[in-house]
Amino acid sequence: MRSLEYAVRRGIFTVVTVFLAVTLNFFLFRALPGSAVSNLARVPDSSPELQHALTVRFGLDRSEWDQYVLYLKNLLHGDLGVSFTYQRPVSHLLLSDLQNTVLLAGAGTLGAIALGVLSGVVAAWRRSSALDHLNTSLAILTYSFPAQWLGLVLLIVFAGVLPAGGMSDQFLFQSPPFWRHAADVAAHMALPAATLILTAYGGYTLVVRSSMLETLGQDYVLTARAKGLPDRRIVWRHAARNAMLPMVTMVALDLGFVVGGAVLVEVIFSWPGIGMATYTALSQRDYPMVQGCLLILTVSVILLNFLADLLCFRLDRRVTA
Amino acid sequence: MSGTLLDVEDLSVHYPMRRGPLQALTGRARRVVRAVDGVSFGLGRGEMVAVVGESGCGKSTTAQAICGMAAPTTGTVRLDGAEITGLSQRRLRPVRRRVQMIYQDPYESLDPLFRVRRTLEEPMLIHGIGGSRAGRAALAEEALERSGLSPARAFLDRYPHELSGGQRQRVSIAAALVLEPDVLLADEPVSMLDVSVRAGVLSLLDTLRRTRDLGILMITHDLSTAAHFADRIIVMYLGRIVEQGPARDVVRAPLHPYTKALLSAVPERDPRKRTAPQVLKGETPDPVDIPSGCRFRPRCPVAGDVCAGTDPSLRPDAGGAGGATAGHQAACLLV
Repeated sequence: MRSLEYAVRRGIFTVVTVFLAVTLNFFLFRALPGSAVSNLARVPDSSPELQHALTVRFGLDRSEWDQYVLYLKNLLHGDLGVSFTYQRPVSHLLLSDLQNTVLLAGAGTLGAIALGVLSGVVAAWRRSSALDHLNTSLAILTYSFPAQWLGLVLLIVFAGVLPAGGMSDQFLFQSPPFWRHAADVAAHMALPAATLILTAYGGYTLVVRSSMLETLGQDYVLTARAKGLPDRRIVWRHAARNAMLPMVTMVALDLGFVVGGAVLVEVIFSWPGIGMATYTALSQRDYPMVQGCLLILTVSVILLNFLADLLCFRLDRRVTA
Repeated sequence: MSGTLLDVEDLSVHYPMRRGPLQALTGRARRVVRAVDGVSFGLGRGEMVAVVGESGCGKSTTAQAICGMAAPTTGTVRLDGAEITGLSQRRLRPVRRRVQMIYQDPYESLDPLFRVRRTLEEPMLIHGIGGSRAGRAALAEEALERSGLSPARAFLDRYPHELSGGQRQRVSIAAALVLEPDVLLADEPVSMLDVSVRAGVLSLLDTLRRTRDLGILMITHDLSTAAHFADRIIVMYLGRIVEQGPARDVVRAPLHPYTKALLSAVPERDPRKRTAPQVLKGETPDPVDIPSGCRFRPRCPVAGDVCAGTDPSLRPDAGGAGGATAGHQAACLLV
């Protein structure tokens, strides 16, 4: 019963936060200089009439308050508007982008978690050994690489070996068999995913290592050892399980960030995801598109945080309020 | 003390210190921390022996070495006559079943993610006791009841954070009891508990050793509990036993000046009676640089010239002058 109450309270918080974020997103971009019209009207010979027609067409002649109310009303119906640039519903455009981002960010995050947990546990287990020093230094080194820089380096080194951009081979058969398509996408994903993994796993390593060192020094680990439990089982069953709590929070916070943090990586590798869409839409002042992108980014951060809260609550019965 | 359950002989645990590269180059000898330095004693069935001494005197390390958690540098530990030092992890496992440990802090010695049931079942699984799931549950319940947590069913599915300190310590005791050990090493079992529940836990240990013939080695700071519950008291100072004997004799007629100083700090029952604790001068020496001769000499109120030359060993039934009785020994040249 207590957990239900907790979930409901967190849920209300989440809804309020989403609303605030939506509002902020709306006004933030209207505060930017330039507009979709000024961008489109850069073509030679654009007459004031054309500009006016465009302004009316995009609904930019109405007051900002009216635009805002209309936006909220449409949003409640799941209507994200129509892209100024593509003249297609934003929700359709972003749905496929989101899938692509989730694929890349998911692979990157899962890979980073797996690598981070493994190296962190091993480093703590073999504390102060050469393995630990090497492991930890490597983690700090890669963690401090800027993703865009590492992406470019990987691009330079592996450009001939692995596909350097896009998500699939344009010249592949129209409808290749599934496994062929999957292999193609995987090959295209290798470099961007490696960039994400390498720049993120070090953080997990450090967190897992320090948290493991703490739990390994606990008396219940000593107790388990005194009762004759083999080392391997002590490390994974007692120490690692208790050490994972800070990980859950960190992973969830990062998940939200990775959807947005992949912007640079997506641009570098021309990965057709949310990040790429945000970048394009921003440079074209495509308000509905930008709003849609940011909506997805903020909502994903907030929802994943909500999820992390619930997960922490499940895992650690001591969490209250 | 022949035919004792647990026999510790000349046990030492030394930890080498890290040498800097410069010191290694100049060939300076590796310095060692002598945590435990030549300790011998025995523990019989149904006997409770209390080890007292200040922090850092090697009480806990001794217990750790006995149960195989710290590697002894020299010396042997025998359980029912069979040596248990230097065994491989696999050979050590059956010994671990027989020698169980209880830690000081019941808030830390239970895995916070394990329910009581799992905490109790894990040792049984390790040692293949209890057979079926139902068998293990029955044993777990029995151990809880024996540890004074009744009705046991009400506790099996709780998490440690739902229990009080005393209850937690009883769970730790139950987790040791499920293995039917012969020796219980209790490392300050009540020092983290509220005064009101200490007596309960202590008398539980006392009952266990009487009814189950358990040999209990209790490490403690508290001389009065030691005097009340233990059969024998061992006083340690800087890694070595300085006095040991029947609890009543050690407390009533201490031989070693260190024991006398410890006892003088125990408050009187009558608050109007002023006690004059005999405060020892100086700090405990660094266990890396143990003083020559008698190691208590720099702080000893009665040390004389003889004390600088010889390192005193425990003398059996030392001096008739102190009125010492059988089995009461002290490592002091002046006794």
